[in-house]
Amino acid sequence: MAVFDTPQAAFGALRPVCVQLTRAQTVENVRQLQAHLAGVSGAALQELQEYVLFPLRFALRVPGPKQERLVQSLVQCISSVLAATCVKKQELLQELFSELCTCLAPPPSSVKAAPLSEELKLAVIQALHTLMHSAYGDVILSLYRPSSLPLLGFAVSLLLTLAEQEKAKQIKISALECLQVLVLQCDCQEHRQLDEDEEQQCGDLFASFLPGISITLSRVIAGDIKQGHKPTVSAIRLFYLIVGLVMADKQLARIPKSKEKLPVEHSRISELMIHRGSDWTKSTAEKLSLLLHKVVESSSVHPHWKVRLELVELVHHLLRNCSQSLVDSFSHLLKAVVGLVNDENSEVQSRCNKVLQGIAEQRIVAQNRALADVLSENLHSLATALPRLMNSQDDMGKVSTLSLLLGYLKLLGPKINIVLNSVSHLQRLSKALVQVLELDVTDVKIVEARRSEPPGPLQQGVQKGRCQKKYFRFFTEEKVFQLLQQVCRVLGYYGNLYLLVDHFMGLYSESGLYRKQAAMILNELVMGAAGVGVDFLQEREVPLNVDDLKGSITSILDEYMDQANWYLVTSVDTEESSPEQSEQHLGLAVRAGGASSSILLQSSEPPVTTRTMNSNIWQICIQLEGVGCFAAVLGKEFRLLLLSALYPVLEKAGDRTLLISETALGTLADICEACGYDSVQCLINENSDYLVNSISLNLRQLAYQPRASQVLDTMLRNSDASLLPLIEDVIQDVLSALDQSYNSQASTFLRVLHSVMTALVQWFGMPSAEEHQQRHSDKGQSRARSQGQHKVTMTSQEVEQFFLDYVSQKRIAEGDLPDLEEEEADEIPLAKPEPSSDTEGEAPMPSHAQLARDVMERCIHLLSDGSLRVRLKVLDVLELCVTMLHPHGNHLLPMAHRVWPALVTRLISDDPLAVLRAFKVLCTLAQTCGDFLRQRFSKDVLSKLTSSLLSQAPASARAGPVYSHTLAFKLQLALLQGLGSLCERLDMGESDLNKVADACLIYLSAKQPVKLQEAAQSVFLHLMHVDPDSTWLLLSEVCCPEGYEPPHPSLRPVKLSGMGRPRNELTDNVLLLLQRLQQQEGTGPRTSTQEASPS
Amino acid sequence: MLTVLMALPPPDPQFVLRGTSAPVHTLHFSCGGPEPDIPLLFSGSENGFIHVWNLKTHRVDTALDGHGRKSVYCVETMGGKDRLLSQGRDQRICLWDLAEGRTSVTDSVFTEHMGFCRCSLLKVAQGRWLMAMAARSLEEVQILELPSKTSVCTLKPEVGAKLGMPMCLKLWQLSCGSQPVLLAGYEDGSVVLWNVSMGKALSQLSCHQEPVMSLDFDSEKAKGISGSSEKVLSIWCLNEQQNLQVYKTHELVNAGISDITIRPDKKILATAGWDHRIRIFSWKKLKPLAVLDYHTATVHCVSFSDHSSPWDRLLAAGSKDQRISVWSIYAQT
Repeated sequence: MAVFDTPQAAFGALRPVCVQLTRAQTVENVRQLQAHLAGVSGAALQELQEYVLFPLRFALRVPGPKQERLVQSLVQCISSVLAATCVKKQELLQELFSELCTCLAPPPSSVKAAPLSEELKLAVIQALHTLMHSAYGDVILSLYRPSSLPLLGFAVSLLLTLAEQEKAKQIKISALECLQVLVLQCDCQEHRQLDEDEEQQCGDLFASFLPGISITLSRVIAGDIKQGHKPTVSAIRLFYLIVGLVMADKQLARIPKSKEKLPVEHSRISELMIHRGSDWTKSTAEKLSLLLHKVVESSSVHPHWKVRLELVELVHHLLRNCSQSLVDSFSHLLKAVVGLVNDENSEVQSRCNKVLQGIAEQRIVAQNRALADVLSENLHSLATALPRLMNSQDDMGKVSTLSLLLGYLKLLGPKINIVLNSVSHLQRLSKALVQVLELDVTDVKIVEARRSEPPGPLQQGVQKGRCQKKYFRFFTEEKVFQLLQQVCRVLGYYGNLYLLVDHFMGLYSESGLYRKQAAMILNELVMGAAGVGVDFLQEREVPLNVDDLKGSITSILDEYMDQANWYLVTSVDTEESSPEQSEQHLGLAVRAGGASSSILLQSSEPPVTTRTMNSNIWQICIQLEGVGCFAAVLGKEFRLLLLSALYPVLEKAGDRTLLISETALGTLADICEACGYDSVQCLINENSDYLVNSISLNLRQLAYQPRASQVLDTMLRNSDASLLPLIEDVIQDVLSALDQSYNSQASTFLRVLHSVMTALVQWFGMPSAEEHQQRHSDKGQSRARSQGQHKVTMTSQEVEQFFLDYVSQKRIAEGDLPDLEEEEADEIPLAKPEPSSDTEGEAPMPSHAQLARDVMERCIHLLSDGSLRVRLKVLDVLELCVTMLHPHGNHLLPMAHRVWPALVTRLISDDPLAVLRAFKVLCTLAQTCGDFLRQRFSKDVLSKLTSSLLSQAPASARAGPVYSHTLAFKLQLALLQGLGSLCERLDMGESDLNKVADACLIYLSAKQPVKLQEAAQSVFLHLMHVDPDSTWLLLSEVCCPEGYEPPHPSLRPVKLSGMGRPRNELTDNVLLLLQRLQQQEGTGPRTSTQEASPS
Repeated sequence: MLTVLMALPPPDPQFVLRGTSAPVHTLHFSCGGPEPDIPLLFSGSENGFIHVWNLKTHRVDTALDGHGRKSVYCVETMGGKDRLLSQGRDQRICLWDLAEGRTSVTDSVFTEHMGFCRCSLLKVAQGRWLMAMAARSLEEVQILELPSKTSVCTLKPEVGAKLGMPMCLKLWQLSCGSQPVLLAGYEDGSVVLWNVSMGKALSQLSCHQEPVMSLDFDSEKAKGISGSSEKVLSIWCLNEQQNLQVYKTHELVNAGISDITIRPDKKILATAGWDHRIRIFSWKKLKPLAVLDYHTATVHCVSFSDHSSPWDRLLAAGSKDQRISVWSIYAQT
């Protein structure tokens, strides 16, 4: 179709159809006109606008009933004209507006007439919509004069009726959209921005419609879900737009006191106009509040997320525009938004968060006291209900309740202090938190799980202080706990820290029931105050004052580490805690004079149950976690607090309860990280002065000694030799403390002494031990070498020499001393090294050796302690001391001399266990004090040992497989294993060796347990080293596999009692040994020299 | 009273400072500064080091080495923690500048004195001090003005007095601007009151049979106390005629007092004993209040802190066992 660009051409084209239409108003004619319109350009049509509209309007105005289809096509045609043109005349706009509205109105006379068709309604609505868009800015405003109020009202009510009652979704939506345009809140950007005055005018005008609109819309919103989400969304949007306009704080603030007088001719209209004075505002706000409540209730649980999203927008819009006028409604509105933060739909969630953020950032709450009041009121009522809700709700319910609480707090932001300053609010809130956080303390495992002994050194970079998983009485969901954490942190972030800490410290000390929860809350508060892990909406107004934080932390730490709160009964260990406990009371009573008297109350408590112990364990853990938190918060600043905090934590790291020691290790790791230490070892090393101070002071109190020694123990395990100068004086303290309480504390202190000595041996002992080994193997080698020579160059001259020597030796032995000078000359070189060893003895002993000597001194006293445990421990310590004093023979020997009598008693008349250990000590001692021990050993001990071996042998020979688990077996084994080397070390005399050999021989029996046989073999192997010849003889007398031919007929034939014996139980082992002996001494069978050896 | 004492066991030290690695001979607090100032404790030890202890961290901030590794037996501050005076067995008295982290000796006085007599310092005007010290010749005490080091006078006992060496000195004045007076304890056990401006002995009192080891004087009550190697504490007073009179003696359990200090508020006093113990007495009636038992060797010195708040007040004792024990005791009274 041709396009008519010029008005003339267009006129030419349109005129016939217009005329036609004027003549006969038929659907066909209208359609023709419409068809022609399509060919006319916009500009041309603008010129002809009124001309074209005329027949259309005329057709509409014709009185009498009209065909619906005709009306519909007319309206559509008008609509398409308007869509292409602008309405530039006010009259035209008004007339068109009213004409279109009339189309929608039901015929006044016949109420019962058939309702209009849906298509028609839709067409009219769309036409109205188009009309509103085609009107010029100024022109459209003419519609919003008071004089047009009735007309507007008419339109509004029509559209509302449609929106509410119409079934068709499309109509509903269009009607609502049209209404939105009508109240000048169209979504599209084409409209002119109204200035303030104009807006004010419109507001005045729309105020008249507000009741109708709001009521109807609220019905639409709360309507049947089946209507779909779109109408609801539109209705919500329209609702907040109109309310936001009419109730805007900005506008209301400008309303004059009294109503404006309109010219007289408008008096009737004037009655319709509403004056938005304060009374009106108040009553309207009340009514709106009800409606909003209804809206919020229905839409916050609407299944479709877009509806919920729109609700968020509603709150956002109203909060931005009407935060004062609608203040009473915000309790519902904020609740809705805050609750929707955890909406299942992520878009709703994020929008919610943004809106909340916006609210916070614009300080809407902060600047609006009333709103803050509303929030705090909400908070109060929520806090009141919280314990009940936590009891009754399931975990999901708890999550939503708590997120509501969290939301309120976040929204209040810096205004939280209003709430906190009110005692009842704070009390409600804290009680609720404390109740919710109640731990479940029924788990027996917590109490039972013990640390495996002995504790290894604290690992490098222990698992970073992750909080221990806690079990709560009222919930299991982790999310709930996280929310509670956030609640506390937000409180800490915004709240007055001193106030909060004071309050919760009060709860902490008020009752044991609240203590754990209060501690947990305190920890989180501090974290929050430092801004660690807080999820906040707006920055706090006053930045954190580090000194305040430090002050609070210090006071909390003091409370945590108070005797009454730090040292709790966590086990019923008979070994340790029972004496400790009673002493604890004693110690506390002593302290009570100076400190708080509340401690004394503890002593009257009923006997501990598993439940209380569990609870105590948790309390300690929570407090330990707190220490970790505080360190993390203060960073390097925490180093100053290590003075008082490190010792108690370390004490707990050595606790026997697994949970506590693990937590303490975590705390140590936290401290390391916070204070910039590379490892726990580093931490301990660099703060050893603090630790030593605490240890030494604690050692002065009998009751604290076990714990102090535990820490010293831990320190020693985790440190190196550089620690020694510092701890020297503490070890002296330990020793003097031990001197004062041999009876009661011996086992405690022995543990310390043991770790002291272990540490010393580890730090200083190693090289000398190696050296010793070296020396020893040298000796062995030289012996082997000399024997090697022996073997290779055995000549007749040598045999001769041997006899000569033998004869002269024998003569000397008989007292016939030949040339004395020669002897002396021989001994001179021997005497030389002695002075040098003397000077060595005079040189000051290194301090570690001195310590070892001092410790050894105590061991002498304790060796005859009544308790076997103690004696065993002493023997262990003694062994370490001996090892330590190895290089200082001059000091070791006198000590050994003093130890000897007590040690002998252990060896010959004590529990087998003690004998076992004592024998080990003896072996160690033998490494250095060979000569010293030889005599005494053979005199005091040997016969006893051999006789015990002999007497036990029949029993072990008879015994079954279970025997190897008995103590007697272990003792036999140890003796057999040790005797050989002992004999070798001590360089025992012949008769003693024979005694040993005799005792051990029966253990070569095949009837003996294999292990004992092996051990007995080892004895003989050692004996072979000391005296191969006699051993050979001894063994050969038992069993001799081969005959020996004398090398010369002048010598008597060899006769050994073992020759030709029948095979017996000893045969196998003896043969084996003889074989070994052969290997050792050389390959071939023994030569005649053997027989000639003195026996 | 006795029952109360028995009910309350003697307290433990608040903390113990370790690390001088030598016997401690002298202590001096500097805690009077306003808040940001860190409270300090100066200690002088036998190895010639002066350790500056930070009482917040309980660690050594600085170790000053100015006496050639010879024992330091007197440390005093001069009007603040930045100026320090120290006396050592190298026969020198050093003046230190410690401001802004400096550790330099600004000036020194060669005493030529061979004994152990600690010098005594008295502030007479802003930036002007009098210092009494044992001089080279055996019985003399010399008074110098600091920082100019000009000699004010030399106090010589009358010929034939046979007082022996001065053992301890206490320079004081009744009020600011009045005549400075010196109390000196001598080897023969007597205490002599000297008028410094006239250079004349005003009064002499034989308090002890043995050398006077230490003395302190309360100018308000005009009463002083001295200790020697005997088992006796001697309390004496100064009457209006400027005569020293024995007021009272107090018998001790163990012999030997190496130092006596009256707390600045004149309520209690502390003694350092050869028996390893620190004893606290009320100054008014010399009632024994506490025996502090911590050290394992002779206690060489006791010192009270100059904290501005009485609650913070501390007592420190240095001992031959190389430790410095710090006590918070009777802080409230």
